[in-house]
Amino acid sequence: MAGEATSADDTKNEFNSFVTGLGRGVAGALFLALPMLMTMEMWYLGFTIARERLLLLLLVNIPLLILLAHRIGFEETFTWREAVRDAIIAYGIGIVTSVIVLAALGLLHADMPVSEAIAKIALQSVPASIGAMLGRSQLGHDDTEGEDKETPYHSELMMMAAGALFLSLNIAPTDEMMVLAYKMSIWHAIVVTLLSITLMHGFVYAVSFIGGHELDPETPWWHAFVRFTLPGYVVALAISVFALWIFERLGDSSAVEIMLSVIVLGFPASLGAAAARLIL
Amino acid sequence: MTKSEQGHHRERQDPHWIEWLTGIVSALLVAAMHGWLTWEAFTRAPTPPDLVVTVLTVEKTTAGHRVAFDIYNTATTTAAAVTVVGRLREGNRVIEENDVTFDYVAAESKSAGAILFQNDPAGRTVDIQPAGYTDP
Repeated sequence: MAGEATSADDTKNEFNSFVTGLGRGVAGALFLALPMLMTMEMWYLGFTIARERLLLLLLVNIPLLILLAHRIGFEETFTWREAVRDAIIAYGIGIVTSVIVLAALGLLHADMPVSEAIAKIALQSVPASIGAMLGRSQLGHDDTEGEDKETPYHSELMMMAAGALFLSLNIAPTDEMMVLAYKMSIWHAIVVTLLSITLMHGFVYAVSFIGGHELDPETPWWHAFVRFTLPGYVVALAISVFALWIFERLGDSSAVEIMLSVIVLGFPASLGAAAARLIL
Repeated sequence: MTKSEQGHHRERQDPHWIEWLTGIVSALLVAAMHGWLTWEAFTRAPTPPDLVVTVLTVEKTTAGHRVAFDIYNTATTTAAAVTVVGRLREGNRVIEENDVTFDYVAAESKSAGAILFQNDPAGRTVDIQPAGYTDP
């Protein structure tokens, strides 16, 4: 709540809840980034990834974190200034967690080139920072929002992008992703796209999860399908292209081959986008 | 816009026109993608991997010589574990033979690699050939 919690004896409470928020952030970073910290391809990317693409990924992460912070945050953030502060803290937690885990697993050595070590940490800090940010919403759940709030359409799309990016980062670096694209026929790909779109719509509207969306009884179902699900799927595919390009998975392939790998990655990405609408 | 209350969200009845515009553009993109894929699925015949090697450059390295090449797979099927053998010949005699393996050469795609020789390829015949592959 914006103004209510700022009486004089609350300074200590505020500090305590901030520390709790940090703890949840670390827990979230560990829970959600550990699969990536323990994936071989992610370590190799530390020395193979093109530095300008890595930089772009790190920069794109910042507005996503700020948006997530504005939405959930470590504390109830109401101004964009606080959101920026929380995003920086989450990024920091992501970096520190990555350093600790990578070092503990013996993936950082003293005789390793500095640029390789930094690239490894920087790459892992992106999912870890998103994890840190989600930690509060996932693990905290002291939902104080009894009142109505409205999500503008563009933030709804941005949240889907964040969810899609998070799952893409899990899967885009793995070799399995490319093998699937090589093995499947175009018919398989068409089935995967239909499955992605159906599941996306179903998760958000049909299955009654907490956080699910519902429509007014008189609104036809396809209204939400056209306004939210299809744009969400396009966002998920765009994020897939971005993730594949960042990890140099597109290569010198023909358009059909690129499309197949984008569709394979678009499957988890679209589920990530749908999950973001449910959770956030 | 979406209204949220008690963890449940309800889509607004009176959306801004930009939501419909985005929705319609997205629908067109998804439809175009499906149209294209269906067309490709009907017209693209599956052909077994067809591998061609093109030698790009021959350069001296610190300890030997590097022959860089591109390998193209012009077919619509991906080849895995593609072995490429490079031979350095003098007349009919093979004086050096080395090989390299590509994890994948994707369908209708190009991959790049190099074979290293101890002997100088200048004045000799460099012969680089794909030797085999597996299905992915």
